[in-house]
Amino acid sequence: MRILLALCLLLSAAAAQADQLDTVKKKGDLICGVLGTDEPNSFVDPKTRTIIGYEVDLCKAIAKKIGVKLTIKQLAVAARIPELQQGRVDILAAALTHTREREAVVDFSLTTFVTGQRVMVRKDSGITQLSQLAGKRVVTVRGGTQEPNIRRAVPNVEVITFETAPQALVALQQRKAVGFVNDEVSLLDAYGKLGPAQKDFVLLEQSISSEALALGLRKNEPAFKKVVDDTLRELEKSGEAERLFMYWYGPQSRLKYDKRHFRIETDKLT
Amino acid sequence: MSVDLSIVLSGEFGEWLLRGFLLSIELTLITLVLAFPLATFIALLRLSPWKPLQGLGFAYVEGIRNVPLLAHLMFWYFGATQLLPEGARNWLYEHDAETVCAIIALTLYTAAFMAEDVRSGIRSIPSAQLEAARALGFGYLRSMRLVVLPQAVRIIVPPLISQTLSLWKNTSIATVIGTAELMYQAQRVETATFRGAETFAVTTVAYLAVSCVITLIGVLYQRRYPVRAA
Repeated sequence: MRILLALCLLLSAAAAQADQLDTVKKKGDLICGVLGTDEPNSFVDPKTRTIIGYEVDLCKAIAKKIGVKLTIKQLAVAARIPELQQGRVDILAAALTHTREREAVVDFSLTTFVTGQRVMVRKDSGITQLSQLAGKRVVTVRGGTQEPNIRRAVPNVEVITFETAPQALVALQQRKAVGFVNDEVSLLDAYGKLGPAQKDFVLLEQSISSEALALGLRKNEPAFKKVVDDTLRELEKSGEAERLFMYWYGPQSRLKYDKRHFRIETDKLT
Repeated sequence: MSVDLSIVLSGEFGEWLLRGFLLSIELTLITLVLAFPLATFIALLRLSPWKPLQGLGFAYVEGIRNVPLLAHLMFWYFGATQLLPEGARNWLYEHDAETVCAIIALTLYTAAFMAEDVRSGIRSIPSAQLEAARALGFGYLRSMRLVVLPQAVRIIVPPLISQTLSLWKNTSIATVIGTAELMYQAQRVETATFRGAETFAVTTVAYLAVSCVITLIGVLYQRRYPVRAA
């Protein structure tokens, strides 16, 4: 164990020495870590069997700007930050919430999406307010900010977590809990997929948090961060960011957002 | 980032890990208590002179142990619970279904392996021993109790202890169905602290410590009760 630890430390030290932008250019390949199970951010296109989505398009733009090819790597929610820290991916585009706690271990790009987390409950539970969840069982996905946020919003709630969001949704459908906590977008998407079963479920109006999603970058790589942020700024300026949002989230998509409530402009939390 | 174990061992995080550790121990003990009688029963089925009972025992052992434990857990948690009548299902879901399903899956799985150890232990006692006891005038049950089983126990216990070791490690897989055992709590602590190396170092030591204790029990048993030549 001690040897393993020492090895991990050595490897991360070695990775930290070289400038990441140069390394990426040299190997000619940008490895972008995505979830791949999170429509429309990143998901498998049933026709081509490749991973596509809003976050994938952002990665494409960055790879193009650096002038290298893009490799997409699928990650579990809980594996995102460790994979980035250990250098197995160059950048995270994996519905990563920008938090102050995480700022200690990774750097964030400009905010690429603003959303909240909400709770979907079974209608027959009679729950209409967050506070009614006290003492009740809710399910969510492991490794994200969902669990700490729902505990903060409803101190006495009982939380059970699973490896993936679809598993948590199944547990809700099977009545193993009264509520399912997740990012608003994922919830809207899940709700859309329920089909006729929609009548048994309802999304609570109140958000449990407001979240800024951003791309995750390894700490202290200023040159790499500058390229990423410049790319995002250019997307915003050219109107491409707006177009991408409308393509993946707009009225033609399943999520049916009528307009974009944010702009890609800052990497600071408010 | 330097390695600092105190972060994951103190306060709230230490408490989570301790709670997970205790639940893992609990899972192991409850499963052990349930699996051993079941294993003995299955072994007796396989040793019975009646073919259909043998077939039943055989089907149980091969059917269970040739499917990965992960699939067992998923089946009992996401599949089998749906087949229960509504009243029983609602009761279960209000009473920690995650732990109950983990115990069911672990018990059935562990019993399949233990049954084979019990069966081969009994079979290893030459049939002449039973015949000799019968020739001396003991009945079948007394021959078993006084002659065959005391010898068989010495052979059966060491492999059962090593099954217990496997069981202890297997409890970690229950994390996939949301059972809040040690592995589940470790992932929770890692998410909250970003201290993966420390969290899993502590978790590894905890698993290793209990494993060593189980191994030690096995060694002590074999020293105190060595297998005697029949």
